[in-house]
Amino acid sequence: MVWIVLLFTAAAGLYMAWTIGANDVANSMGPVVGSRSVTIAQAIVVAGLCEFAGAVVAGSDVTNTIRKGIVEPSALAATPEVLCLGMICALLAAAVWLHAATWWGMPVSTSHSIVGAVAGFGVVAAGAGSVYWGKLGQIVLSWFISPVVGLVLGFAIFRIIIRTVLGRAEPMAAAVRVTPVLAFVAALIVTLATIYKGLKNLMAQGRMEMTGGRALAIAALVGAVAALVSRLLVRRSLRRCEGLSLAEQLLKVEGIFVPLAVISACSVAFAHGANDVANAIGPLAAVADIVATGSVKMSVHVPLWVLVLGGVGIVLGLGTFGYRVMRTIGSAITEITPSRAVAANIAAATTVLACTRLSLPVSTSHTIVGAVLGVGFARGIGAVNRAITRNIFGSWLLTVPAAAGVAIALFLLGRLLGADLLLAQVIHAAPAAAAP
Amino acid sequence: MSLISELFGKSPFGPLAQHAKKVHECVSLVRPLLDACVAEDYQEIHRLQDQVSKLEYEADQVKQAIREQLPRRYFLPVSRDDLERFLHCQDSIADGAEDFAVILLIRNTKIHPALVDEFTAFAGHVVGISQTLTAAAEELEALAESSFGGAEAEAVLDRIGGLGEAEWQADRMQRKLSQHIYRLESELDVLSILFYEKMLLALGAIANAADKTGDMLRTMIVKG
Repeated sequence: MVWIVLLFTAAAGLYMAWTIGANDVANSMGPVVGSRSVTIAQAIVVAGLCEFAGAVVAGSDVTNTIRKGIVEPSALAATPEVLCLGMICALLAAAVWLHAATWWGMPVSTSHSIVGAVAGFGVVAAGAGSVYWGKLGQIVLSWFISPVVGLVLGFAIFRIIIRTVLGRAEPMAAAVRVTPVLAFVAALIVTLATIYKGLKNLMAQGRMEMTGGRALAIAALVGAVAALVSRLLVRRSLRRCEGLSLAEQLLKVEGIFVPLAVISACSVAFAHGANDVANAIGPLAAVADIVATGSVKMSVHVPLWVLVLGGVGIVLGLGTFGYRVMRTIGSAITEITPSRAVAANIAAATTVLACTRLSLPVSTSHTIVGAVLGVGFARGIGAVNRAITRNIFGSWLLTVPAAAGVAIALFLLGRLLGADLLLAQVIHAAPAAAAP
Repeated sequence: MSLISELFGKSPFGPLAQHAKKVHECVSLVRPLLDACVAEDYQEIHRLQDQVSKLEYEADQVKQAIREQLPRRYFLPVSRDDLERFLHCQDSIADGAEDFAVILLIRNTKIHPALVDEFTAFAGHVVGISQTLTAAAEELEALAESSFGGAEAEAVLDRIGGLGEAEWQADRMQRKLSQHIYRLESELDVLSILFYEKMLLALGAIANAADKTGDMLRTMIVKG
């Protein structure tokens, strides 16, 4: 009986992860496919690997926020079946809302949906006092701040690229020189954001002490590897630039940025996996907890299988529907060149990973749009649609109430049908049924 | 779908460079036209005028396409008004070349032997001004790549820096040639004088337009 509940919730979580993978692949791989740095097939494979890695390695922080950072679990300690039902409904509600919005052609954030859904059922199930309004306020604030930070970083990083490469009298030689440095910095940031206090889940037994110094050393090592790889990849390009005029060099220099564009896109995919997997498996982790232990506990770790399930779901979504999404928008994003993609990607990955470190669920789409706008303000893009900022500042206004509404409706319906009583039976039988 | 799919509009700088190329091709037919007029080869004039007309039409089409692809909601790395003015001015260069061709076409005007050298020099100078400008404008894609800054922007600004003075020189040459024409007025029929003046005006207009376009290009690069 326990297995049925778990299986059902896991299936819902897997479905949600699938939608996340399908819809959001364009955020990480869009710029790099549009700039013709990779084919769609290559992008899908690479994105899949990085998303999975991000989800499993760094996905637990935000998962915990969804699981127990929005609605206070102890408020429902006496009736764990209510929390269980609520989480299942929240998951279903978010998935339903996502599907409806996609069907209507509206771009919508998975993070906004799940946060709204969880808060919604929390208010109805255990009263307004059970919701951590402070944390919720932080989360909503981060939905504004992350695109703005992305914008500022995108602007700054692109200005650096202009200053060090594109504005030079010998841009191609400069590109060959600067690419490994940028690769080092990008890899350093990603690794630091991941391992410094972030590998809690994989180091559950506390076997390895991750001090600040060790973290820096590992990050520097990964950075050095990335720098070496990119240096090898761009060295051949140096020969091609003999005797070209400045204008000719500028029209060819983008080719040298391609490897770095791919590396930076990988870090966005990694960051997205880390931040967004929680939207699918946060509720699942809560349910798994309750069903396994028979009570509401403030447990420490997200079970590994839950993270893996989320990662697998995202990869499946990427590989199946994501391919079609990329093909559809492929012609719409050809105006971005590799150097611009590098700036936007590094900016977005840094911002999203910082928010993941702070356990805040943010919208990767909005962050990367902010980063691209930042590059546009640095005069880097021929024509950029600034009307999109409307979407960034307002889309959650619709999504949060809508997802909350659906969650509340499902929750009340479930209670009406006696689902909570059913779950109560399952939960109280669980400790006996779950063999250690 | 995805937010990113609506984020990008078509960059106008590739088409702008293309427009500059078309204008360049137009103006490069001015010297052959004058040579044909001097040689009194009126069939050649007819052929060349056809070509200029076609090229000017193609330039117009590029201009239309650029205008259609720039709806208000897109934010550009240069001021939209400056870009519009630049396009308009560059287009009037091609118009000037076409005007010149038509003037040579509608009447078989003979150029007085004493005026041939000055006419040729004037036309050559005007064409030189225009070609300097269009060569710089053809680098708009490279300029966009370097975000209108750095070494490339400085190089382009350098090249069009001398346009003002060159245009002033063209004005002087035009005045001198006019004076020479009137010194010979007893040897010339009125209609020929009329058509010489038309030709001078058309050539002067090309030089003016090129100078103005250069100003607009400078504004686009510097102001942003």
